[in-house]
Amino acid sequence: MTLTIQTALFIALVGILGIFIFMFIFYLLIKGLDKWFPYEEEKPEQDLILDEVED
Amino acid sequence: MNTLLSLADNLQTFWGYTGFYNVESGHIIMILIGLVFIYLAITKEYEPLLLIPIGFGMLIGNIPFNEAAGLQIGIYEEGSVFNILYQGVVQGWYPPLIFLGIGAMTDFSALIANPKLILIGAACQFGIFGAYIIAIEWGFAPNEAGAIGIIGGADGPTAIFLTSKLAPHLLGAVAISAYSYMALVPVIQPPFMRLLTTPKERAMKMKTPRVVSQTEKVMFPIMGLLLTAFLVPSGLPLLGMLFFGNLLKESGVTRRLAETARGPLIDTITILLGLTVGASTQATTFLRIESLKVFLIGALSFVIATVTGILFVKAFNLILPKDKKINPLIGNAGVSAVPDAARISQTVGLEYNPSNYLLMHAMGPNVAGVIGSAVAAGILLGFLY
Repeated sequence: MTLTIQTALFIALVGILGIFIFMFIFYLLIKGLDKWFPYEEEKPEQDLILDEVED
Repeated sequence: MNTLLSLADNLQTFWGYTGFYNVESGHIIMILIGLVFIYLAITKEYEPLLLIPIGFGMLIGNIPFNEAAGLQIGIYEEGSVFNILYQGVVQGWYPPLIFLGIGAMTDFSALIANPKLILIGAACQFGIFGAYIIAIEWGFAPNEAGAIGIIGGADGPTAIFLTSKLAPHLLGAVAISAYSYMALVPVIQPPFMRLLTTPKERAMKMKTPRVVSQTEKVMFPIMGLLLTAFLVPSGLPLLGMLFFGNLLKESGVTRRLAETARGPLIDTITILLGLTVGASTQATTFLRIESLKVFLIGALSFVIATVTGILFVKAFNLILPKDKKINPLIGNAGVSAVPDAARISQTVGLEYNPSNYLLMHAMGPNVAGVIGSAVAAGILLGFLY
């Protein structure tokens, strides 16, 4: 195996590992977004008015 | 008599300038390839927005003329109109602008709703690095191999951006190869999808994705940009513009800018990019044995990317709970080629289960593939530039 091939294999290995690490951090980021900014169902306007009246 | 002789001389000079006098077999071959591109775009509707400009550009770039006359009409002649337009490709201005438009038209909800799909977008990048190794084995220099490998990302702008930096002399071959195979994704991928999956797997239904909040959609491009900038700064020109375009779309207060980015701007750049990339395939510089090798490696890279995407999903399913398993038919979508690869998942899925709508699920790995290939380009740029 020549030095060029060895270097290429090293770059390929680092590259693919790098992408998986990057994507895994991205995965954690999206999980975090879901935790910090969860979806809340919007209340219909009628309910909001009723809430204000009750207050 | 003298007048007649002078007229004959003038006619001979004129004849020397015509395409008929200067034509070589290479021009005819490239013109025929250009016509095939236009035919495929019109009759088969394979990526017509790209193949028509590229195909017509091939006709323009291969009109034979007297190159020694200094007419400044060829794409490689400094100062010619086509040469000036081609600078957007050579200097790498067009790809980030296209990414801006892509960002402004992409909905990342499918990915945000089911973030584990992002890993499929990573697995498919084996196509890039597999092709890179093959190119080295076939005698290409490391920088050339990097440019050829990126074809496996199935992302035209990324391929052009990286090749313009690493191996500008291969731009025509890499760009044409990338766009051709992107157009041929409906032909290349389905046989491997069927070969590597069982009928039961193909019919598998996935859980409906959760609803994504608007705040998440707004925060995603901002956080994505910061993550990219800090982890892979060399991917910034592409991913920075992608996330910027997406913020224009999701912020809800820059509708006009988002509409311009995903409409007139991306259309203009696509026209300029397609036409000049097509014209860059001038027979005298394009018809070489290297171009043929680039095409062969490009085809292999698409196959490797598709196969690894599907096999990754199958392996991933081994550790996923029963109710969260992924249909392996969406594994192909990680190769980017938005949205065609995702549409193929949907089409093949419907063949085996008419009530199975995989498109929304496949869009997750599909947009992850765009991010993945841009990151791969950044990594290759970091190592090889």
